[in-house]
Order: sequence, then structure tokens, then C-alpha cells
Amino acid sequence: MVIYLRSGGKLRERLKPDVDQYTRRVEVEGTPSLNEILADLGIPDGLVAFAFAEGTFRRLDYRPSEGEIVTLQPPVSGG
Amino acid sequence: MPRSKRHTERYARQIDTPGWGAEGQKRLGASHVFVAGIGGLGCAAATYLAAAGVGKLTICDCDLLELSNLNRQVLYSTVDVGSPKAPLAAARLRALNPDIEIIPDLTEIDHANAAGLIGDATVVVDCLDNLETRVALNRAAIATRVPMVYAACSELTGHLSFLRPPDTPCLECFVSRLPPAVEPAIPGVTPATMGSLQAMEVVKYLTGIGEPLAGRLLILEGTEPRIDVIQIERDPDCPACRGLS
Repeated sequence: MVIYLRSGGKLRERLKPDVDQYTRRVEVEGTPSLNEILADLGIPDGLVAFAFAEGTFRRLDYRPSEGEIVTLQPPVSGG
Repeated sequence: MPRSKRHTERYARQIDTPGWGAEGQKRLGASHVFVAGIGGLGCAAATYLAAAGVGKLTICDCDLLELSNLNRQVLYSTVDVGSPKAPLAAARLRALNPDIEIIPDLTEIDHANAAGLIGDATVVVDCLDNLETRVALNRAAIATRVPMVYAACSELTGHLSFLRPPDTPCLECFVSRLPPAVEPAIPGVTPATMGSLQAMEVVKYLTGIGEPLAGRLLILEGTEPRIDVIQIERDPDCPACRGLS
């Protein structure tokens, strides 16, 4: 199935967007978790803190469904 | 000018905001806001809280001003580098609004002292710059049952939420346990925006206007630009607020 991952900032450089400036189309087998998808893409642990999809917070054990757009968030703690 | 006339004139442009009025202004004047950290977020938040007439502001920060702070920490001047930030900020805020009480506190916030520092505050504003101290403040806000307005930023990204468990998640329900791999870049405009939004949440809560950003997380992505407000829920396994009712 196909899902879409979005991100801004430094994460975007690692995500290598191909749909637009912020979005990457990703083909996956089965229904993997975000953790598994990010590992397959070579995005190291710790660069993504959480995600959201359809207006709802998602942890990295979330399993996106076909065609879903998932936005990734880096750890943010500065002030 | 008599104090009462000065008071009326100073706040004239905000009292007419629907739902604010003399009563809302009175509530602001009777409130005590604890501002944890007076860096980029804190400079913006504390400025607008002082200007709005919050009666008592505690400004807690143990750091000395560094030259690299000045891209975003707009309460300070170049000649202030090397001095402790809390008294500098307090002096600037007193000059802005001499009719309120501003207490600088140089204590380094930790798990042992955070609840005592919050004391009788009506609201806590989390303007800190590191996860460890944020966690200490979160635990103290839970223990004292004082609502906390959280914000954090990195690059052109900002997060904001109004936290009051058990009605909402606490910080540790949704914030990653992972600190950023490197010290983040923080252009001044990001904490200026997010600190101003923190002040708005505090003012709304204290005056009773509108509804707080409770159970929701505002995410600013300045690069696109885009603002999302997403639903967040309590984590039943949260180490900080599990079992709280």
C-alpha cells in the first residue's frame, strides 16, 4: 500500500520529499508501524518524536492505513 | 496622574475585548503567574503578561545572559551580557508596567524545589529550554494542581498546549522522552510567536475568555507556513499523571 509522510525543518532533509517540498510517497508491504517504516527509510531513532494524522496525535507504534498522510514531528524542547 | 485614572487609561484598549471588561481586568490583577525561564519564550510571554496587567509575575531563571541569546531574548541589551537574566528582565518589565509586582528568582528549577517555587501561582508558564527541567516543572504542576501553559520551539517549528491533568494530558503524556540530538537552531521569530501565544492562553484562562487549548496541541510549522491543532489524549501509562483523578 501507499502512504504519505510529511515533515518540515531538518527532518525534511532526511525524508527526501518527492511529492512536493514536504511530502514523500512511500510504498510499504502489509501494515507496518511508523517505527518500522522510518527504519526502512534509514531515518535514525530519535529524529522523530511523534506524528499526527487526520488531526490526531500518533505515537510511533501507529500503523498508517492506505493513502494516509502522516506528518512527522522532531523532538522540540527549545525555548 | 492618580493610580485609578492611570489604571483605566493603561488598559483601555484591552478591556473592551468581548468578555474581558473591568471584571476580567480585576481577575488579571489578582493573579500570580509563574514564568519558568526568561529566554526566547519567556521574554515574549512575560512582556505581554506584564503589559496586560497580571498582578504578580515571578520570573524564574538561573542563567547569565550570553551574547548568543540576543537574537531572540529581546528584554536584554548587549551591555547586559554576563549578568543574571531574571533581575534584568524584572527591571525592564517594571519599567513597562510599574503597577504590578515582579519577582525575579535565580533558583535553578529541579525536581526537589519546583513545587515550592510554584507556590501560590495561579498559572505556570513553561518557557524552559530543556526536557529535564520541563519534566520537573510538569511533575510540580501536577502535584500542586496548577495549570501549565507549555510551549517549545526548534528552528521554525513551535508547539503549544494548555495542560491541566486530569482534564487534559500532562506534558509527559505526549512529549518525547528523547532530547534533540543537538542544540536546536532557534530564530527569534519562533519563540516570539510561541511566547505570545502562551501569553494569550494565560490571559484567556485568567479572564475567562474563550476556551483554553486544552486536550489539543497547536503545531506551528513556519517553513510552509502551516498551523495544525491536533487532538491529544492522556497516556494511561504516563509516568507522571497515571491514575490521577
